[in-house]
Amino acid sequence: MNSVGEACTDLKREYDQCFNRWFAEKFLKGDRSGDPCTETFRKYQRCVQKAIKEKDIPIDGVEFMGPNKDNST
Amino acid sequence: MKIWASEHIFNHPWETVTNAAMQKYPNPMNPGVFGVDVLDRSVDTQGRLHSTRLLSTEWGLPAMAKSIIGVTRTCTYVQEHSVVDPKEKTFELKSTNISFTNLVSVDEKLTYKPHPQDPEKTVLTQEALISVKGVSLSSYLESLMAKTISVNASKGREAMEWVIRRLNTEIEELAATARSSIRVPMAAAVADK
Repeated sequence: MNSVGEACTDLKREYDQCFNRWFAEKFLKGDRSGDPCTETFRKYQRCVQKAIKEKDIPIDGVEFMGPNKDNST
Repeated sequence: MKIWASEHIFNHPWETVTNAAMQKYPNPMNPGVFGVDVLDRSVDTQGRLHSTRLLSTEWGLPAMAKSIIGVTRTCTYVQEHSVVDPKEKTFELKSTNISFTNLVSVDEKLTYKPHPQDPEKTVLTQEALISVKGVSLSSYLESLMAKTISVNASKGREAMEWVIRRLNTEIEELAATARSSIRVPMAAAVADK
């Protein structure tokens, strides 16, 4: 799977591998030990946030089934 | 505004389904999703995992619907917030489009829980709220979108089975590799006698 930022795909894959292993083997089994992926996540995030700004993707101000969903703008 | 809801039972335990749902993309049944990014992730004080993800999708509206709405590109972004509670065994995902919000609003909610009578099964409840704004034929378009959501939902369930099979195959392959690496020295030890 690719990242929204083409340059971030490798960093994303590295993070995903780390997370998927921790999620299945530790988190879901009730192991409360910390997430070992924070460093890879930070690197990946820096890249993604940059790509989101460059592509002007409106990620702020999201309201799920909020009260103003009916209004036409 | 159109509301769509459905319920489905997977013949797999909740942990298997949740693991697969977390790795749902890419899969051959939902080719419209071409990018998934994690924007934020944390474990709260009650031990629940919160994730915010950005999905990059091609919505797949029929050409006629596109010309009514007046758009040519259909790359849409969806923001998803999910919570996994490993103690209560619930996985809840809420997503909403963040593109074309002035035209359409699609909010979806999915919940995976163990089947109340059979812990080897998992129940998925899925709801969508669709609202098309500011164009005539909005209720027609809403029905069209509900149909698309329904078709995508059954593809999504097929996709889940595909991901579960893939993850199980990976586990079996790892086990087979481990077994064969034990077998070789054992065979050698027997031959020596």
